[in-house]
Amino acid sequence: MKTEKRTLRDFTSKPEFSSLLILLMMFALTAILQKNFFEIKSIMRNVNAFAPLILVTMGQAVVIISGGIDLSSGTALSLLTCVLTSIMRKNDPMTGLYGIIIAFVVALLIGLINGFGIGYLRIPPVISTFATSFIWLGIALFLRPTPGGESVSWFGVFYNFDTLKDASGFFGTLSGFLPPSLLLIIIGCILWYVLSKTKTGRYIYAVGGNSESAYESGINTAKTQIVACMINSIFIFLAALFFVGQTGSGDARMGDPLTLRSIAAAVVGGIALSGGRGNVYFALVGALILSFVNKIIFFANIPYAYQTLVGGAIVIVAIAGSQAYISYSTKTKEIKIG
Amino acid sequence: MNILEAKNVKKNFGGVVALSGASLTCREGRITGLLGANGSGKSTLSKIIAGVYAPDAGEITYLGKKIHYKNPHEAKQQGIGMVYQNLSLVPELTVWQNIVLGDEKNTGYFLDDESARERSADIVHKLLPNIDIEKKVFELTPGEMQVVEITKAVSRKPKLLILDEPTAALEKAQVTSLFKLMKELASSGVAIIFTSHRLWEVVEICHDLTIFRNGQNVGSMDFDKDEKDVKKIIFYITGSQSETGIAKTCIEACGETRLSIENLSLGTMLRNISFDLKQGEILGVGGLAGQGQQELMLALAGNFAKIACDAKIDGKPIKLTRPSNAIRNGIVLVPGDRETEGLFSKHSVFSNLILPKIGIEKKSFIVPYRKLKKECEQIANILALKAASLDVPVSTLSGGNQQKVVIGKWLGLETKVLLLSDPAKGIDIGAKADLYSYIVNQVRSTGMSVILYASDTKELIEYCDRLLIMYEGSIVATLDTEEITEENIIRASMRVEEK
Repeated sequence: MKTEKRTLRDFTSKPEFSSLLILLMMFALTAILQKNFFEIKSIMRNVNAFAPLILVTMGQAVVIISGGIDLSSGTALSLLTCVLTSIMRKNDPMTGLYGIIIAFVVALLIGLINGFGIGYLRIPPVISTFATSFIWLGIALFLRPTPGGESVSWFGVFYNFDTLKDASGFFGTLSGFLPPSLLLIIIGCILWYVLSKTKTGRYIYAVGGNSESAYESGINTAKTQIVACMINSIFIFLAALFFVGQTGSGDARMGDPLTLRSIAAAVVGGIALSGGRGNVYFALVGALILSFVNKIIFFANIPYAYQTLVGGAIVIVAIAGSQAYISYSTKTKEIKIG
Repeated sequence: MNILEAKNVKKNFGGVVALSGASLTCREGRITGLLGANGSGKSTLSKIIAGVYAPDAGEITYLGKKIHYKNPHEAKQQGIGMVYQNLSLVPELTVWQNIVLGDEKNTGYFLDDESARERSADIVHKLLPNIDIEKKVFELTPGEMQVVEITKAVSRKPKLLILDEPTAALEKAQVTSLFKLMKELASSGVAIIFTSHRLWEVVEICHDLTIFRNGQNVGSMDFDKDEKDVKKIIFYITGSQSETGIAKTCIEACGETRLSIENLSLGTMLRNISFDLKQGEILGVGGLAGQGQQELMLALAGNFAKIACDAKIDGKPIKLTRPSNAIRNGIVLVPGDRETEGLFSKHSVFSNLILPKIGIEKKSFIVPYRKLKKECEQIANILALKAASLDVPVSTLSGGNQQKVVIGKWLGLETKVLLLSDPAKGIDIGAKADLYSYIVNQVRSTGMSVILYASDTKELIEYCDRLLIMYEGSIVATLDTEEITEENIIRASMRVEEK
C-alpha cells in the first residue's frame, strides 16, 4: 500500500492554514492592546465573551458543510432562552431540570423542521431557514413578549462555577480558573468528533460536496441533512444554556446579531459556502478571529460611530483573503479541462 | 449459465424510439461486447438493465428471475454494477473515501477506515499502481477519475458488471491494466458487458459480440466459434455495403478560401486542428459522438478565451478569443442545445430575434423597436416561421420553429461563416428538410460558407461537400465529395485502419 508522505506544503496550502495565521495576528494585536490580557481573570472573561459565537459558529459550520445554511440560528437561540425561562420557577430547583430537558427537545424539533425543509421539501436553505426564523421569533415573543422570565438559582453554573461554591468547595476552586463555557465548547467538540467518525459524519461531507453523487451511491441525502440541522440546534442549545446561566432571563431578540456573524465566522474559518469542504474545529478559529477583531476595535479606541464600519471592513478583508487563498491553492492543483 | 437474458426490449423517449426490440444474452464469466453507431440503443439497453430506466416492453431475466427495477439502487443490491460517466464521485472526498462511499463498514459504532483504505488500495493499484489514495478526487485527471469510478463498481463484487465506454478517457497503459482486471473478474465468474467505440478493443477483449443498429440487435458473434472478421462487423453496424440512394444536393464549392484555421489547440479537447473553408462550401464535421466536434464549433465561435489558433477570415487574421470578435467578423453559431445555449426561452420570439442586432450594431442609443419589429416580421416570413405571433414566448414553439428563431437572429447581419452544431437534433423530418433547404439556398445565393456538425450521418452524406472526421480532438480523415459514404465514415470514425 503506497501513500505519499503528507508534506508540509499540503498543510500550508489549505485555507485552514491561512486562518491560523490570521488568528495568530489578531491574538498578538489584542495582547498588545489589552494590558491585562494574560491575567487569569481576563482570560476567563474573554472565553465567556467568545463562547456563544464559537458554539453557534460550529453548529452553522456543520449545516454549511452538509450543503445548507441556517439563517434561523439567532432566533432559535432566543427561542430556547425563552423556553428555558418560561419553564423554570425561581423557587423550585427541579424546574431547572425540566427546563433543560424540554429545551433540548425543542432544539431537536427546530433541527428536524429546518432539515425537513431542506432535505424533503427541497426548499433552498436560504429561503426555508429565513422563513423558519420568523416562526421561532413568533413563538419566542409569545412566550416572552418582553425580556424576563425566571431561572433557578443553580442555573448560574453554566456561567460561573462560583454559583455552586456553597454546595462544595471544589466548585469554588474551579471558579478561579475554569469558566463553564469552556466545558460547553468542549462538549460541542466531542459531539462533533464522535459524529465525524461515523457514516453519517462522512455522508454530511458527501451530500454537501455533491448531492447527486451521494444519492447515486445509495446515501439518504434528506436524512443526512436533517441530522446536520439537528446537530446545529444542539450547539445552539448549549449556547442558550450559557446565556440563561449568565443573565437568568430570556429575550426574544438576543440571538439576532449571532446569525450572520456565525456565517461570516465559518467562512473565515475555511468553511466553503458551497458545501462539502471545511473543518468544524477551524470554524471555531474563525469565531475567535471575529471576536478578537471586536476586541481590537474596542481597545484601539476607535470612535463608536466607526466601530461597525471598521469591524465589517475587517471581516470582508478576512473573508476575501481566505477565498483568494483557496482559489490560489486549488488553481495550482486543478486539472484544466479546456 | 446465463446470468442475464434480455428479450425484445422496447423503449421510447417521448416519441423517439430508442429500442425497437433488442435482445441480449450474457453468460457467466464471459465478456460481451456491445457495438453500434451513435443512437443505436446500446447505452439505453445497458441503462435499462442497470435500473436507470424502465423498459416499455420486453422481458429481462437476471439470475433466472424476471426483474423490474424501480431505481439503480435495487439493481446494485442484486449485484448489477454499472460504470458510465463520472456520476457518483464527490470531488472533495479522497480516492478511498469515494471508492467505499455508500458501502462503508464499521468497527463497532465507528467507521473502519483502515480496512476501507486497504480494500480500495487493493483494487485501484491494479489499475493505477502509483495513485495516492489520499488525494482528493478533484485533483485527479479525467482518466484517473474514470478508474476510481470503475474501482468503486468492482469493489461491490457485482455478478454482472456493465462498463459503458470505460476506455474513452483512459490512456493506453490504463486500458491494458483494465483489460487485465476484466480478465481476472471474468475468470472468477463475473459476467461483463463492455461497450467501446474503439473496434479493436472490443475485438481484443470480448468473448462475445452483439451489434446494434436502429434500436435492435442485428448480429452477434461468439469468438469461440466465429472468426474476428472486421469487415463483417462493419457490415452489421452500417447495414449496407452500398449507398441507399440518398440524393446528394451539394453544389460545387467555389471561390476563394473564406476561413483558414491553423493549429487550433485547446488543452486536450482540441488538438492541432487545421483546415480551410471555401466560399460557398458546406464543410461537414463528423465522427463518433463526443470526439470534440461540439467543442470545435464553440471554439470557432470564439467561446474559449484560452484558445491557441491562427485564424484568417477572407485573408484577414482574427482572434477567436471572444464571441463578439467572431460575430463581428461574420462567424455565427447555431449551438447544439438550442434551449440553453441559443435562446432565452422565457422571452418572446421578437426579443430573441433582435438581440444580436441591438448589441452588435451600436448605431443608436434608443432601441428603434418599430423598425426592428418590421424587420422581424420579414425574417419570420422568409423562414416560414409558424408562431401565433412574434410576442409569444419562444418556449411555446415547436423544436423546428425554435431552431428557425436561433438561425433567424443572425439574419440581417452579414454572415460569412455559419456554424451549425447538430441543428436538426430532435426535429421532425418535415421541419428538418425545411431547415436544410433554407440553409442550402442561402449558401447558393449569397456564397455563405457553412460548417456543419451532425450526429446523424445521413445529414452529412446528403449535404456536405467535404467531410472532416474527428477522433479524440483531432482531425483524422478528410473525405471529398465522392468519398462521403456511410462505410467510409464509419471506418474513419472507428479508426479501423489502426491496429
